[in-house]
Amino acid sequence: MNNFFIKLLDRLLRRKKKVKIGLYGHPNSGKTTLANAICEDWIGKPLGVISDIPHETRSVYKQEEVVIEKDGAKLYFDIIDTPGVATKVDYKNFLRYGLSEREAKERAKEATKGIIEAIKWLDDVTGVLLVMDSTEDPLTQANITIIGNLEARKIPFLIIANKIDLPESSADRISAVFPQHTVVAISALHKENIEELYMEMVKKFR
Amino acid sequence: MEGLKMDFLSSKALEDKSTIEKISMIIERVKDGDILVLEGSLTPSEEAELIETTMREIDIENFVGIDIHTLEKDEKSFFGFSKRKTIGLTIIGPANVMKTVKKKSNFLSMIAKIGDSGASVH
Repeated sequence: MNNFFIKLLDRLLRRKKKVKIGLYGHPNSGKTTLANAICEDWIGKPLGVISDIPHETRSVYKQEEVVIEKDGAKLYFDIIDTPGVATKVDYKNFLRYGLSEREAKERAKEATKGIIEAIKWLDDVTGVLLVMDSTEDPLTQANITIIGNLEARKIPFLIIANKIDLPESSADRISAVFPQHTVVAISALHKENIEELYMEMVKKFR
Repeated sequence: MEGLKMDFLSSKALEDKSTIEKISMIIERVKDGDILVLEGSLTPSEEAELIETTMREIDIENFVGIDIHTLEKDEKSFFGFSKRKTIGLTIIGPANVMKTVKKKSNFLSMIAKIGDSGASVH
């Protein structure tokens, strides 16, 4: 009987503590790679398909009931992997990846819908991992717009300086541009520094 | 000869407009190939609305989206002890026209492409 009440209490508390963490960022910044790393580590299976072609994720993918445990503290949450946010989508960019014109146009059309969906999800997420490619200039309109909206809505977030395994990466450049925010440098692909990310997630979102 | 039209709008010209009016005005002009220079900035929710509306307006062949750049300036706080950045100018234009943008503190340089609407890389 005692066990029953303990389990019930645990479920109630879990429900109260569970948050919806959205992965936001540019196309090809590594959002789905990171979502996969988190899901593999804590659920045992990946969440989505990754590729080198921008806008691979064109609709929202969700994994419910993820639990991260660090130093005895647990974070219960749903992962919302969103399509990359951009201010432009040109189908011609996809042609260089070997897509046919028809496929490229279809992908572009779907990408525009995905961006709208990602922006709409800002109304529902309770925390955000803003994923930036640390080999690129972080001061882009998409990043500025996402951060501005998160600040205005008081949604807690971490900036993820991803792709630190690449020689041209510079996590320091991201920290210098956004000194007021927590920046965690990782390689989602190689799960480098991922334990520090989990610790920061528990601290920030729990 | 095809030219490039640039419209400069003072903050006064925008202050009485609703979000929808502002976004419609921006999209309409940018779709016509104009570059807009606004004094000040849009709010974060207006920026999100502008991106959403842009995505709805993209027609694959003729309009591939927008580029937005801002020129920030340092502003001293009330007591003069700390500086904070505010946006002095916002430049919005068609993505296939606004090409190279170099940005430094208090300086922004842009090359616009006239005529050929070749694709730009995101």
